[in-house]
Amino acid sequence: MNPQFVPIHRNESLREEGMLFVRTDGILETMVKAPLIIAGLLVVALSMPMQSSFGSTRSLDLIIYPDGSTHVSAQIDVDPLNPEFELELYGPSVDNFVAVGESGFLLSSEFVEDKAILDTYDSSFITVNYDVHDLVSKEGRVWTFSFDSPVDYSLTMPDNSVIVGMNVLPDNMDIVNDKTKLELYSGFTKIDYIFGTPVPTPPTDSGNEETVIENDLDLSTTAIIAAPIAGGAAAAAVLLKRKQSKKSEIPAQTITNEISTSNMNKVEKIFSLRPDMREDDKEIVKFISENGGEAFESELRKKFLQPRTTMWRAVKRLERLGVVEITKKDTQNLVKLRDELEEEQ
Amino acid sequence: MNKIVTFGLLLLVSSMMLGSATSSAFAQTDPTILITLANRAQTQIERQLSDSSPEQIIELYQTGVNEVNALKESLKEDDIETAKKHFLSAMRIFAQISHLLNEQPTTQAESTQIRVAPQHDYSSDLERIHKYVTSLKALAKKYNAPIDFSEIDRLFDTAQTQARSGNAEIVQTINQIKHLVLEINEQIRDHAAKQQQERAKRYAQQYLEQLDRLIENAKSQGISDDIINKLENLRERLSTATDPHDIVEKIKEIISIKKQFELTKNDRLESRVIQIEKMINRLSQIDGINQENLDSIKEQLALAKGYLREGEFDKANDILRELNTQLRSITSSL
Repeated sequence: MNPQFVPIHRNESLREEGMLFVRTDGILETMVKAPLIIAGLLVVALSMPMQSSFGSTRSLDLIIYPDGSTHVSAQIDVDPLNPEFELELYGPSVDNFVAVGESGFLLSSEFVEDKAILDTYDSSFITVNYDVHDLVSKEGRVWTFSFDSPVDYSLTMPDNSVIVGMNVLPDNMDIVNDKTKLELYSGFTKIDYIFGTPVPTPPTDSGNEETVIENDLDLSTTAIIAAPIAGGAAAAAVLLKRKQSKKSEIPAQTITNEISTSNMNKVEKIFSLRPDMREDDKEIVKFISENGGEAFESELRKKFLQPRTTMWRAVKRLERLGVVEITKKDTQNLVKLRDELEEEQ
Repeated sequence: MNKIVTFGLLLLVSSMMLGSATSSAFAQTDPTILITLANRAQTQIERQLSDSSPEQIIELYQTGVNEVNALKESLKEDDIETAKKHFLSAMRIFAQISHLLNEQPTTQAESTQIRVAPQHDYSSDLERIHKYVTSLKALAKKYNAPIDFSEIDRLFDTAQTQARSGNAEIVQTINQIKHLVLEINEQIRDHAAKQQQERAKRYAQQYLEQLDRLIENAKSQGISDDIINKLENLRERLSTATDPHDIVEKIKEIISIKKQFELTKNDRLESRVIQIEKMINRLSQIDGINQENLDSIKEQLALAKGYLREGEFDKANDILRELNTQLRSITSSL
């Protein structure tokens, strides 16, 4: 469409600076071609629904079983004037094939390579269900689902599987019977997954959002249970606070401020004695200080979203600097700020 | 004239733009899903790493973590497009790490975190067969076939118990189920075959009516006698065919001739006629439907068929479109 407009303005020049002159005869010339454009657009507009009418998939749902086989469930529009329909299967290894017409009757089928020839008679849509063994491959412990879908579709992952890689953006995600169900767009999709232990929701800023997505059905139940508990806890806290405030002559706020000031002084002292400390290590020191002078290594990992090895190296670095000491508590590493810090030589 | 053309052009372009806008709105991904998926992948990968993991993998992991953090930041700033890029990048990196870890020997700590799916997973077998049996039950009900599923249900219960307790006899139970499934499948296909002949005959009858319209239309359009003779000959053979396979073959021959002599231009309208007839049939079986309305629709449909016979495709198309709207309105008011 555009190339027809370009030549009109190609030789145009501005007759006066700052003013744009448009040749009306150029527009008229364009308008003469408008019916042609309209006709073209009409053809496109009319042919679009026709192209997607017959042989197109209405809905497609895939379920991956733990052994990598995939259940295919599809509804397909077919031409009621053609007594046969050639269905392209999503692989040559197919089991448990059932095709029914729109009235629910079984359609007789014949298989030729990865195609099924179905006697559809006057059906205008059919439903097919089958298992295919060609969509998932396995390399070591990584399973890979590869599929080039003609339409948007849903994919239910096996129980206890965790997606560790994917090349597309999902449209939606849901948890159905403890299984992850993805809504995906048409086109080529590659999803890597492994079987692992269930991953708990990490306590990050976005954690709340995740809880909403995964547990929105249980949210009201949780609220009903949690509300009285929270209320009780709040009441107990108020009573306790009242008792404490009666006994204590010094206000609690003052104590907190003093501790905070003391911690800040300690942190500043550490930084002044170790001026070459890395910025990210300083953040760790600040956090430990605010946490009462000690923190588990796992807490540090969660706080700074660092992997085990990276955090371990950071903590060991601080230990070498004499800033912290590492002790074992149960099976975990407890990182404590040292009370006395020696000046660097 | 130009104004009308411009208006028409604008209307078309705007309607197409609106259409595409709807589809792009549909193509919006819920951003919170991206965080959930990326977090899960990150946590799972982290669980597989240890102090002895190669530096290359640790560095790659760190890059992945940075991408996840960048994803979260982008979402906080409502920058969805950048967030999507970070998500895809993070998932690509985590996939790469997974494949790299594959090449590493598994440590004891890692092996406790990962369950490699067993070589032969009987739960998958059971799930697959159960789904298939559910389809067979629906078909048996449809055909009123007196098939007893109680034995297969009992075997499923036994197999489930055996799967939970790790009983090796599950292999025999599954084989028994498979054997029964084959028998049931055979019975259902026998029932289906009996009814298939009736369905094929009904379809042939329906097709003969369309063929009559096509022949009438071909005659009025001055199509050569040779083609018309071929069609009439096939019509005769189709009307006497009784075997479903034979009926399908005859219709395929007719379709081939129609394609050969470009007589398929009204096929889409004929398909629409079939769909409307089906819709009328369905509605006429529902209580509370205004029969006068349906009768009026039937009359208009007969008119459309007449136009098809005379080759007045545009007129037939207009009526069919109108009938479709009327039927949809009736359906939605139910």
